Amino acid sequence: MEILGVFGSIDQAVGAVDKLLDAGFEETRITTLSSVPIPEGALIDSGYRRRFHRWTLAGGVLGAILGFSLAAGTAWLYPVQTGDKPIIAIFPVGIVTYEMTMLLAIIGTLLGMLWEMGLPDIERHAYDSELADGLIGILVCTDQEESRQHAAELLTAAGALRLRTDEVPE
Amino acid sequence: MSETNNRIKWGMVIDLDRCTGCGACVTACQAENNVPLIDAKGFAQGRNLHWLRIERYWEGTFPHVRARFLPMLCQHCSDAPCEPVCPVYASYHNPEGLNGQVYNRCVGTRYCANNCPYAVRVFNFFNPEWPQPLDQQLSPDVSVRCRGVMEKCSFCIQRIRGAKETAKLENRSVADGEVQPACAQTCPPGVIVFGNLNDPDSHVARLARSPRRLRLLEDLGTEPSVIYLKGGGHEYVG
Amino acid sequence: MSTSAEAVRNAVRQNAEMLSSMERPRWRWYLLAFLLGAVVAFGLYAFTVQVTTGMVVTGINRPVMWGMYIINFVFWVGLSHSGTMVSAILRLSHAGWRRPILRGAEAMTVFSITVGGLFPLIHLGRNWVFYYMLPYPTQYGLWPNFRSPLLWDMMAINTYIIGSSIFLYVGMLPDLALVRDRSSSWKRLVFAALALGWRGTAQQWRAFAKASTMLAALIIPVAVSVHSIVAWDFAVTLVPGWHSTIFAPYFVIGAITSGVAVVITLMIIIRKAFRLEEYLTPLHFDNMGKLLLAVTLLWSYFYFADVLTTWYGHEPIEWEVFSFMASKYGVLLLIMLLGNTLLPIPLLCIKKVRRSIPAMLGITLMVNVAMFTERFLIIVPSLSHKNIPFVWGSYFPSWVELAITAAAFAGFALLYTLFSRFFPIVAVTDVREQTELLKAEHQLGRTRLDTLVEEE
Repeated sequence: MEILGVFGSIDQAVGAVDKLLDAGFEETRITTLSSVPIPEGALIDSGYRRRFHRWTLAGGVLGAILGFSLAAGTAWLYPVQTGDKPIIAIFPVGIVTYEMTMLLAIIGTLLGMLWEMGLPDIERHAYDSELADGLIGILVCTDQEESRQHAAELLTAAGALRLRTDEVPE
Repeated sequence: MSETNNRIKWGMVIDLDRCTGCGACVTACQAENNVPLIDAKGFAQGRNLHWLRIERYWEGTFPHVRARFLPMLCQHCSDAPCEPVCPVYASYHNPEGLNGQVYNRCVGTRYCANNCPYAVRVFNFFNPEWPQPLDQQLSPDVSVRCRGVMEKCSFCIQRIRGAKETAKLENRSVADGEVQPACAQTCPPGVIVFGNLNDPDSHVARLARSPRRLRLLEDLGTEPSVIYLKGGGHEYVG
Repeated sequence: MSTSAEAVRNAVRQNAEMLSSMERPRWRWYLLAFLLGAVVAFGLYAFTVQVTTGMVVTGINRPVMWGMYIINFVFWVGLSHSGTMVSAILRLSHAGWRRPILRGAEAMTVFSITVGGLFPLIHLGRNWVFYYMLPYPTQYGLWPNFRSPLLWDMMAINTYIIGSSIFLYVGMLPDLALVRDRSSSWKRLVFAALALGWRGTAQQWRAFAKASTMLAALIIPVAVSVHSIVAWDFAVTLVPGWHSTIFAPYFVIGAITSGVAVVITLMIIIRKAFRLEEYLTPLHFDNMGKLLLAVTLLWSYFYFADVLTTWYGHEPIEWEVFSFMASKYGVLLLIMLLGNTLLPIPLLCIKKVRRSIPAMLGITLMVNVAMFTERFLIIVPSLSHKNIPFVWGSYFPSWVELAITAAAFAGFALLYTLFSRFFPIVAVTDVREQTELLKAEHQLGRTRLDTLVEEE
């Protein structure tokens, strides 16, 4: 369950965050929605820890194996003599392995980032299109309807221009 | 890659002292290998398809000018620069020392032609046509290449294969002089000698030990299988 | 700091201005797209003639077996270093002035590597069996030859196309969401699909920032490797004039030079076409000009080193190639030296020149003409005069090759035109981040300083 309060600026949103924290809402259940990145701690501490780098690493390792198999493996399995070069030659194998490592590392970074962001996201969420015009949103996630109502009251009291929820409209 | 004495290593000796520049070898090669014909205009544009060409160099100043003839063909290098650069293995090294060209694999990147220092590789710029009645004389043992494919001297590999098959049927090894590429067969003064360089008693191996021996562009390290014998005039000091 | 209502109005105005290229186009845009499309169509016709008739319609001959197509290939792959260098390096070095330029440069990378990657397919003698070069188990039990530099080309260009597309897309993600929020009907659906449901939560922004940095760090070595591998197509051969160890760094620097020059050119065009004068200021061109000055100096240094060793060593065949180039293609050599070294370097040292938009346009166009000429001078003279004098030749491109070259330029321009119409050509959220959150005025002593805030 989500409730979103839309504010005109960061200064106004600060009051809302203070009220929510004072009322006992956990900082991990509060987040900001904005069209430009807000510096860490200006409104909330996002608690973000980078984890996608594991995907990058995994991609790199997989790419190295794949590249090595392509260059060295296929040459070993189906050897054809060319010039005086060895069948498994160090420089070509190195180059192909490197390229595949980088390719899968980049793809891994993309997939890891998307996984961390929770994208693609097709669920219904609280959102307001005018956030694109520079408005700041304070989003509160709750488990019960009463908490949500409480948060809504606090946001309104802090000066929210409007409220949005993730409920399906009637 | 070392070769044992049991394995054949095909090689050729070309005696420049005997070469008159008549060009019979060129014609024979064209006839034997279904090499397409090019007119003078194509020749001037650099589109000629000679697998074997007679290079003519002029030396001296008038009136003491003389021409030198150098039959140039694929040198079948042991460390061929054309082989590793082909992306599809259309150019590869045969265990008997030949540089093989696989026509139906070639995609026509022309990288091999760039890397050949002797510029012996030729490219089919268009689909070949033989004016009648020359279309009747195509050799059935050699494929006709379509456009977009690289080709070059193959040491008449069809004749090598033929001789090996005959020898196998008769349960013997290939005799010296049994394999005659078209150019060697045709040359009137006997400039071109072909055979197994690994057989120390073969004609070609004995000629290859001559003090007149020379290999072209040796400092590039390509290790050609074609050995030239210096000559061509009394003023030449060996 | 402005009031919140004023700030919102500012943001709305900035959104509208930076996204103005996506509005309904006027007849001029349609005319441009039509003309470019016509040139591309003519190039396609020329290519069809080549595929059906044979390579005889080109100027390729023995010994010059590589001509205009490979020149184009090297040139376009070189251009593709624009995005990487400008976007990735400036991003990693926290250069604030990169923000309006990022998107245009990244898009340029993707399109130029796409155009460049077509040329290895165009120049094949038997284009219809190009798939022989792809790694898959054939019925003969043959895989492609990974010892060949052309296969390294294929792997590197494949990696770079995918990598730079991912780099472009990831950078665009917040902007696509912004466009989604401002669109309606079917456009909204399309951009919603592309934005993958991005909402702009604090966690998403942090992941976005970290991932962008990671991708920038990964794409730079890929870019260096791509053009080094293209250089090794030439350097690993025995062709005199090509077999030089300096080729790989020399080509990479040449790529960065032409890439930076094209970024500047395109920024000037975009600035005029979409009225982005407020975002692409003379400061940006000043800084880009300094970058261009640095890389042209580096290019000149590498070229000098290459010619010095050739001249001093005076190996017969190496010197023959160089003196042949200087005599037969002397005009082109002069154009190259003037356009890459003698004119840009002194001119770019002058601040007034760097800040003058028309001067920068002239200089960058000149640099790219010179770079294209340089590719010609690397490839053709060396092949014309190889080791055996009997087969020395020359090369002149035919109408087919010129048509396809023109189609490549038109195709690139067309892709860019279409991209700017349908996607945000300026990194909107990036620019707004700077103007809304990071710019501040700091009272120091008797003066007020304009400052830019940067997180440590």
